[in-house]
Amino acid sequence: MLFILLKESVLFAWQSLTSNKLRSFLSLLGITIGIFAIILVFTIVDSLENNIRGSIQTLGNNVVYIQKWPWTFGPDYPWWKYMNRPTPQYYELDDLQRKCKSTEAFAYRMGARKTIKYKSNSIQNAVVAGISHDFYKIKNFDLTAGRYFTQSETDAGYRVALIGANIAQGLFLNEDPIGKEIKIAGQKASVIGVLKKEGESLLGNSFDYQVITPFNFARIMMDTRSENADPIIYAKARPNVTNAEMMDELTGALRSIRKLKPAAEPDFALNETSLLSKGFDQLFDIIGTAGWIIGGFSILVGGFGIANIMFVSVRERTNLIGIQKSLGAKNLFILVQFLSESVMLSCVGGFFGLLLTYIITMLGKGAVDMEITLTGTNVVLGFTISILIGIISGFIPAYSASQLDPVEAIRSN
Amino acid sequence: MKRPKIISFICILGYITVLISFPQVFSPSIKKLGIFMPAIYGILAAANFIACVGLWYFKQWGVQLYILSFFSKTLFVVLTQQYTYSFYFGEFISFIFIVILLRFYPKMSQNL
Repeated sequence: MLFILLKESVLFAWQSLTSNKLRSFLSLLGITIGIFAIILVFTIVDSLENNIRGSIQTLGNNVVYIQKWPWTFGPDYPWWKYMNRPTPQYYELDDLQRKCKSTEAFAYRMGARKTIKYKSNSIQNAVVAGISHDFYKIKNFDLTAGRYFTQSETDAGYRVALIGANIAQGLFLNEDPIGKEIKIAGQKASVIGVLKKEGESLLGNSFDYQVITPFNFARIMMDTRSENADPIIYAKARPNVTNAEMMDELTGALRSIRKLKPAAEPDFALNETSLLSKGFDQLFDIIGTAGWIIGGFSILVGGFGIANIMFVSVRERTNLIGIQKSLGAKNLFILVQFLSESVMLSCVGGFFGLLLTYIITMLGKGAVDMEITLTGTNVVLGFTISILIGIISGFIPAYSASQLDPVEAIRSN
Repeated sequence: MKRPKIISFICILGYITVLISFPQVFSPSIKKLGIFMPAIYGILAAANFIACVGLWYFKQWGVQLYILSFFSKTLFVVLTQQYTYSFYFGEFISFIFIVILLRFYPKMSQNL
């Protein structure tokens, strides 16, 4: 019985929508724009969040970064205290390795932007990183060709390099880079490995545009004491050792290496990836809230549009309602008939809104090298919002139609 | 019977509440609670709105739906543990409204 009622109502609603095409189009435009705005914002925020969280994940949860500047956010950032701190140095690595028992591995990295040349091909502003040997224990990276440095190569500062996928593509095109000689800021180096393509990272830590060399070779090309080289010492915790335990030990070891007095403030920062996550959580909350306010009120306006058109629809078909009621149609039938028209109108609007969002995400994929995906959750959310807005905006017109007196309704023009 | 002024007041307040609370369906705080939470929150807002329409027409089903949506919302907040001052205030006000509505319940129309 309910199914027949619904089927009849939907058919009536469909007839009404198709008989007034322009009016239907204009009224669903509000919902289309509203759903498009809100789902597009959610899609972009979700995609950005996935990308950044993925990038943070690659930094390692059990890795602590010893740096000059702490990864804290907000207005109360006492930068004047931090700017006079010394940068981490390569020689501190040996002392740390000797003093710390809770760490599985330490690594040092510094980098600078240099020009890379191979024959007549060149890439400007490529990131050249100088690393200590155990860097591979901290950062997971796969090689598509070649091999990693040997211990003697890193210790002696051999002129060898690992190159990122985009550097390999840009310099060598279809040639095999292994064994070829490139020039890094005028210094000759032999390519011994090519890194697997990682894709764009919003944190800028992708290896695709990087050239990795042993630290003792890289120090020829860059100033190791310069802050511009962004020197970092990485410390990776042993299994079953928490970051907090390791950081306690690192604090003690660094204070002793730098000969800090007991009352003196530390002149180093121990950064964890959880600090970054917290910072980005705040950012995404702000973006999400902005999207919610813009989209929420667009949908509300769209809902008013549908309510308005439903009132017009009821007024136009008043005598038809009277005839239906005099022939035995129940109040519930009239109510469901108009309510389904409103929900259908809203759902069609929502569908076009989602379609528009999908098209934009497809175009966006081509424009930016980042995965932008309209997720199933957002599609379900879009349709749910459409149904709810259809019910809310159509209920009063539908209910007032169902309460009409049949005689009065038939008499009306 | 003509609708008493106090019921008109409850309905207008209900419409305004729905108008303000409906955009919250898409708020990041609700979305964070789970995939289906925006839908559940939206259904509760829609039920509250429909109940207000029922009360406006002085129907018994309006009171029934108002009470049902009150308990459903309370259950939702208890399960998600989203206790706020506005929630306690809302519960208190809704409880008073339910008492008022139940006083007029026998005089309301039983029809749809």
